[in-house]
Formats: sequence, C-alpha cells, structure tokens
Amino acid sequence: MPEATLSTVSRTSPSRNLMGKRPLFGQQHQTAAMWLSAPAIILMLVLLVIPILVAVFLSFTSYGLGGSMEWVGLENYKRIFSHSSYQKMLSSTLTYVLIVVPISTLLGLGAALLINSLRFGKDIYKTIYFLPVMASLLAMAIVWEFTLHPTIGVINDTLQQGCNSVFWYPFLSGEWYGNNPATSWYGESCNSNFPLWFGDKNYAIWTISFIGIWQSFGFNMMLYLAGLTSVQRELYNAAEMDGVNSAWSRFHLVTWPMLGPTTVFVITITMIRSFQIFDTVEAITHGGPAKSTYMMLYAIYEKSVQQNIIGLGSAITVLFLLMVMGLTVLQRWFIDRKVHYS
Amino acid sequence: MNHYHSSFTEILRHATLIVGGLVIILPFYIMLSYSFKSPHEIESNTGGFFGKQEVMVDEYCVKLGNTRKDCETTPIKFNYGNAFKKAPLLRYLINGIIVTLSIFFIQVLVALPAAYALAKLRWWGRDLVFSMVLFGLLIPVHAIALPLYIMLAKVGLINTYAALIVPWTISVFGIFLMHQFFKTVPDDLVDAARLDGMSEFSIVWRVMLPTAIPALLAFAIFSVVAHWNDYFWPRIVITGNHDLFTPPLGLREFRGGADGSDWGPLMATATVIVTPLIVAFLLAQKKFIEGITLSGMK
Repeated sequence: MPEATLSTVSRTSPSRNLMGKRPLFGQQHQTAAMWLSAPAIILMLVLLVIPILVAVFLSFTSYGLGGSMEWVGLENYKRIFSHSSYQKMLSSTLTYVLIVVPISTLLGLGAALLINSLRFGKDIYKTIYFLPVMASLLAMAIVWEFTLHPTIGVINDTLQQGCNSVFWYPFLSGEWYGNNPATSWYGESCNSNFPLWFGDKNYAIWTISFIGIWQSFGFNMMLYLAGLTSVQRELYNAAEMDGVNSAWSRFHLVTWPMLGPTTVFVITITMIRSFQIFDTVEAITHGGPAKSTYMMLYAIYEKSVQQNIIGLGSAITVLFLLMVMGLTVLQRWFIDRKVHYS
Repeated sequence: MNHYHSSFTEILRHATLIVGGLVIILPFYIMLSYSFKSPHEIESNTGGFFGKQEVMVDEYCVKLGNTRKDCETTPIKFNYGNAFKKAPLLRYLINGIIVTLSIFFIQVLVALPAAYALAKLRWWGRDLVFSMVLFGLLIPVHAIALPLYIMLAKVGLINTYAALIVPWTISVFGIFLMHQFFKTVPDDLVDAARLDGMSEFSIVWRVMLPTAIPALLAFAIFSVVAHWNDYFWPRIVITGNHDLFTPPLGLREFRGGADGSDWGPLMATATVIVTPLIVAFLLAQKKFIEGITLSGMK
C-alpha cells in the first residue's frame, strides 16, 4: 500500500498509535532479526571465526598448498623459539614497536599541546601533520627510499655538501664545543661515507622506524587534540586559584591526568598498528640486512605465500594474533578501571 | 613585559612546528619535484623544484625507430606520459575505485541491517551475536590473512576481484559503529514506521539509513582510505595478473623494474596514486579527520 495513505491512517487513529508504541513481539521480531543479521552472522563465522580455527589447526601441521599434511604437534612453535632467524623476527618486531610507540605518542602529544596553545595558525599545522596519515604508506616508503638513497638521495647529498662548509661542518661535527671533529659521527662520515640508511644493519631498523613515526604521529596528534578539547577551562581556572602557575605544573596536575584515557588509547592503537608493519619492509629492505628488519607480518607473507611453508606461517599467525588480541584486551581493561579520573 | 614574553613563546612554538612540518612535507616535496624533473636533473640534484623543463629526447622512443626530432619531449610530459604508458596506471586506478567502492557498499549492505537488528529489535541470540561483534573488534584482518588466503586458494578465487573484496565485506567495526548510532535514534521513529505498515526491511533502508548519513559518511571515508592505501592484502592474493593490480601494487611493480631513467616516471606514478585522497582531504578536512580518527572510538 502506498505510504501516504498509511501515515494518514496512523495519524488519525490514536488508539492504534498507542498499541503500536509497544514493540513487535515474539515470532515476528525473531524472524525479522534473523533475516536482517543473517548475512553478518554468516560472514563473521566464515571470515573471522573459521580462519582463526584454521590457523590454529594448521600451526600443528606441516601443510603446504598442494602438498601433504602431517601432524607435527608443537614442532612449528619450537622452531620459532629456537631458530635464530625467528628469534630475530620476534626481536626486530618488538624493537620496532618499542621505538615507534613511545616516540610517536610523545611527538603526537607534543604537537597537540603546541598547536593547542597557538594564537593563530592552528589549522595549517593540523593539515600538514595529518598528510602522511592520508597518503599510501607504500608510495611514501618508496619516496623515502629515494630521499635517503646513498647516491642520488637529497639527504646524503646535503650532508655531503655540509662537509665542505665552514659553518655546518664545525656545527654538526661538534667542533664548536670543543669536540674532535674527526672522531664525531659527522666527521667520520665525511671522511668515509654517509650511511646506507637501509643497507646497513645498524641503521635499517631505525630508518624503518623513522618512517613509521613520520607516518603515524599526526594521527596521534589528532586524538590528543580531541582529548584536549574535553579538558574543561574551569579546571585550569580552579588550578590557578589553588596557586598552580607554571606551565609545567598546569600540564602535570591538570592536562596529563585528564588525558589519561586518550593516552591509553593512543598507545595501544599505535602498538597494534606498528605490530602490523609490512609495506616499508616489503618494498625496501625485504627483512634485511641480516634479518634486522624481519617483521612478523612480512615473515608470514614470505614463509607462506612465497615459500609455501604454511604450517610455520600459521604458527607465526597464531602468535601474532595472541599478541594483538592480548594488547586490545589489556587496553579495554585499563580504560575500564585504571585511568578513570574521578 | 608579559606581552613580549608570550609573543616570544608563540614565535618559538611556531618555529618548532615549522621544523616538524618541513620533515613531514619533505617526501611530498621530493615526490612532486622529481615527477617534474629530467633523469639528469634527478641524478645531479639540480633544477630546483620544478626542473628547467629543457627539451629532452626520449631514448626509448628513439629505439622504437622514430627520429630524434619526433622523440623530443619535456621532462614533465615524459614522466607523466610514461607513468600511464609503461604501466597501465589508468587500469590500476580503475581497479582501485572498483575495489574500494565495492568493499564499502557491501560493508554497508551487511552491517546496516545487522546493526539495526542488534540495536532496535529484541530477539533470541542477540547478546550472542553482539558478543561476536565485540570479539571481532579484537582481530585485525591482516593478522588472519594467511588462513583467509588458504581458504580463497581452496575455492580457486586467488587472482580475482572477489579475492580483493570478500575478506573485507564484513566490517565488525561498521556494525559496532552503526549499532552505537542507532541506539541514539528514538524508538518512536521506528514504531511510527511500523504503524505505517513498513516492513522491518524497509525500515532499515528508508527510515534508519537517512538518519545515519553523517555516521555513514565518516565510515565511508574510513573504509575508502584504508582500502585505497592497503598494500598487504592485494600483495597476497594478486600474484601476477596485472589486470587486477590495485594502485599500490602497480606502483610496487613499477619500482621493481625501475632503473636510473625511470625515477621520474616512478615519482609521477606515486604522485598520481597519492593525490586523489590528499586533494579530497584538503577539500573536506573536518570530515576526513572525523572519519580517520573514527577508529579512535573503538
């Protein structure tokens, strides 16, 4: 029936309206709800629950696509914890996370506080700092690779030019405060070569982390800016009346505690995301040099998709899942009970 | 006195933020600048931002048997021309659009009715389904990529559009988000629609959907940005069929074969891939920030 006539009916008959106030009951509701949520339920089972079970199952086997499957028990897990290349995988993933998370969080907080305290020009900085979040990480990784290229890269080129400058050389080598320029990092690099940022195992993990921080801290800044708007003016006024005058104690006593929930959230989401680092590693270092940037997601890809060693890849997947899910559970727990300022 | 002091700190703050901003901008600057320059200018780091745009000869074109005169071009034309000619960049872009839009539409098609049922209907099993949604929020899809890959391989879907789209069709985050939103829609609105004789199905699409447009827009931005930029999943399920490459895959492929003379075209390709979202972001910043930080509400 056409809608128009129906709505006239309902408007002119208040008695029906009263009855209609009560929700539909029983069978009707049940059937409708099942139909409406059936696609979601089926997809959740097929695309989220079953894959986890599949991964857990396969992690106890020596499966490979098109090959045979044998039950190997905990063999895959034992290999991960005893083999040096997988130990390196675990340690480089953790190193990456432990570098990126604190720096990206602090930079995000710092940028948010600075921007928030500006009198003019807030928006332009917000826009600029958020740009990397929007851009394809893979594309920007390739651009960084060229920027940091040992021969044609702008960075090394500029550093090289500074070696002959009467201002930059003493400044960067520390000569101006009495350091011996020849033994400083800059002086030594001038005499030999500037680092292969991605090719030297002492630098690669730091360079990859740098790109990760570059890409992620604008996101954290936005979350902190949102958090800052919820800190009420009155609190600062009250603090000032209580004799809180310096900027540091204002931050320490009011802003920081009020940002507690934001901080927990920022830290966990940055952790979860940095655990999933893949693009930069796959495009630039392939896990090298000497496995120093061999990250978990990349290992899963390399072992399973490229080498078809699926049992082992599944075991890494299970460990990976446990870590990420554990983090999220921890985050919920923290938000629920710990950081509530009252 | 105080006034001077605060102006000074204001300047100091700006100075700090500008230095940070320069680091942020640097790769964007390099990308754009290299996409304008000739191979020689890139290698020698000359030519400023835009390059001198001196007439150059496309050596590849000469190899094809054309005269040098016919092969004269400017760096900017050479770079962007090659980006579209040497690799089927246009095809990649279209694939990107097909995949991101299909994902978003299916996500809404699946999530919206489910969210409505969870938020507005009383039925047996509702709590169980909702806890499944909450459980799903714990799992990043990238983490279960391997079992998904195996399942898709088993049903023969590797190297198809379906492989690019299917794993993302269920967005538990979308369900959760819409559920929270529908909770705020008054029950009276739903009851009135029922009185009008509307079926539950049409209530979802004709009553709830229109109220949810702002939330859906934010979700659309969230979803499209994530999948346009996603590299990990396409890398896994598309193993060589160039016709199915998404923009990041295409760029990666180009990078793989790039030698000295291709850096300009490579940067041009990167520029073309990155630009749409950046431009959209600059045009609708508020909406984009809202959409991207949505995951902040998880």
